[in-house]
Amino acid sequence: MIAAEPQMTGTPADTTPALSLQRLSRHFGATRALRDVSLDIAEGEFFTIVGPSGSGKTTLLRILAGLDRPTSGALLLRGQDVTLQPPNKRPTAMVFQSLALFDHRSVGQNVEFALKMRGVGAEARKTRALELLELVRLGADYYGRPVTQCSGGERQRVALARALASDPEILFFDEPLSALDYRLRKTLEVELRGLQRRTGRTFVYITHSLEEAMVMSDRIGIMKDGALVQVGTPSQIYDRPRDRFVARFMGEVNILEIRDGRLVELDTPLPGRADGYLVLRPEALSPTESGLPIRCTVLERFQLGSRVQLHLDTPAGLMIAEQPASCTLQAGDEATFSFDPDAAHRVSE
Amino acid sequence: MKQRAGYLFMAPVALFLLVGFATPIFIVGWYSLIEPRTFELTSDLTLANYRAAFTEGYGGPFYWSILGAFATVATCALLAWPTAKMLHARAGRGAAIVTGLIAVPIFVSESVRLFGLSLFLMPGGGILAGSLKALFGVSIGTVLNTKIAVWLGLVYVHFPFMLFPLLLGVALIPQDRIDAARDLGASRWQVLREIELPLALPGLAIGALLTFVLCIGANAEAAILGGQAVTVVTRAIEQRFSYAQDWPMGAALTMLVTLVTALVVFPVLSRIDLNRLIRR
Repeated sequence: MIAAEPQMTGTPADTTPALSLQRLSRHFGATRALRDVSLDIAEGEFFTIVGPSGSGKTTLLRILAGLDRPTSGALLLRGQDVTLQPPNKRPTAMVFQSLALFDHRSVGQNVEFALKMRGVGAEARKTRALELLELVRLGADYYGRPVTQCSGGERQRVALARALASDPEILFFDEPLSALDYRLRKTLEVELRGLQRRTGRTFVYITHSLEEAMVMSDRIGIMKDGALVQVGTPSQIYDRPRDRFVARFMGEVNILEIRDGRLVELDTPLPGRADGYLVLRPEALSPTESGLPIRCTVLERFQLGSRVQLHLDTPAGLMIAEQPASCTLQAGDEATFSFDPDAAHRVSE
Repeated sequence: MKQRAGYLFMAPVALFLLVGFATPIFIVGWYSLIEPRTFELTSDLTLANYRAAFTEGYGGPFYWSILGAFATVATCALLAWPTAKMLHARAGRGAAIVTGLIAVPIFVSESVRLFGLSLFLMPGGGILAGSLKALFGVSIGTVLNTKIAVWLGLVYVHFPFMLFPLLLGVALIPQDRIDAARDLGASRWQVLREIELPLALPGLAIGALLTFVLCIGANAEAAILGGQAVTVVTRAIEQRFSYAQDWPMGAALTMLVTLVTALVVFPVLSRIDLNRLIRR
């Protein structure tokens, strides 16, 4: 059972992917919600799909769970083609965005649902349900409570326990934390990640929150207009985005165009770099003259806890820099910021 | 300050129910307790009529009315469930037209519809028998003047009363609950039993009660389609009040029907959450 044997998730012993998506497409009439998505998700991996709303991530997850069928393409689960298999025949479980708790049932009945459907006896079901309630940190006294009397965070945990009940090989999460307040979300992110490590199960998680993805994932896939535009570890995607869309999606960024060996907006020569765009994270700009200098005026100063964010008026327009809170620059100050153009990441589109 | 509707707003309907419902029930109740075949409201009260109701062959009419009502409720529910699911899933112009078509017969007099149905069911030259004979050479006996015909008529007349509350009930089932149940391993049958029926229960119960109450009081179906095949309790009551001129007996039977209805309706009504049905 799930909690019994902790195992590490580093290198999967089996090389057959837990899930193999092969050119999955889904069309709704003329709308192409999903275009040729191909991807392998390894056994025991925490894989997060990130994208703006309408990018097709929920459609993709529904196909993975069997709640929808692709227009074309195939889905292999541990090497078995399950493209047309109904959801109740798949060894997977999903935590829904709405949680979809059965409000006409108690917490215990919700958690036991999958076991009841499999014909597990009442005694064994209850034992397992209590175990799961413990695992999601609710405790046995929640067993008989109506779900309608649970708070947002408790409902979240009930949904998680319910999905875990049948010991699924793969768990799907459709933005389950989006309705919770910030603190609770942070707590649950850490708990989910811990749970995933303890159980060694494959988690496929969907969110529009990059922060959530960065905290929890082994790998991230970025979706845009129904296509998977980049797949990689959080740091790969943050440091080496494939294009300006990914760069912008992964947080605050300054983008400078390179054309014919010059930085267009700054009107400065930049020999040796091909045409494209330089991606400068706010922390890459520092108020020194050690690299390529930019004359600017500080427009705004925002305190972000231990750091400050500065909005700069530069010849290239608004640029954003981040500095330790000890930085003394104030709104209205003239300054020179600089960056190392050789270290800066370039994208071609 | 917002002023809430006070008890005065209840006055018109309360007055109407007092004059139109409570008073007649009281008079009927009184009549049921006086000597058989008399009209003496001032005489001594007796339970003789109720004793007669259980000993003098009124069991048959009661049995047929109650059985007919239950059979109609069950049949209508079985027919209305898939219809409601389909209309809900395909909500739009098409569904609105179908819903309208199902409602239209309500605007036609019930007797007219039942005579139409009797033409359909008539033996020999009737539409059903005649068509079967002409097209397939199959001869069937009569359907008209049988209990089957009464049952068909009851279902036909009362189907909308089951369907429309059930449509509201089916609308109470969120699709994501069905998805979640499927995802957790429920077969379609298990989804129906564990999720859909419990969630749609308020609508189903209201539909069933409406149908049941209307069927218990139905008379025309048995009279027009059943011929002499079956005597329903409303027919027996009518005979007591008219030909037999035995008002106390008719009143006792009426009180018993009312009691049976109440015994079915109140337990069900107390278990369903009407607020949920009107999304409050």
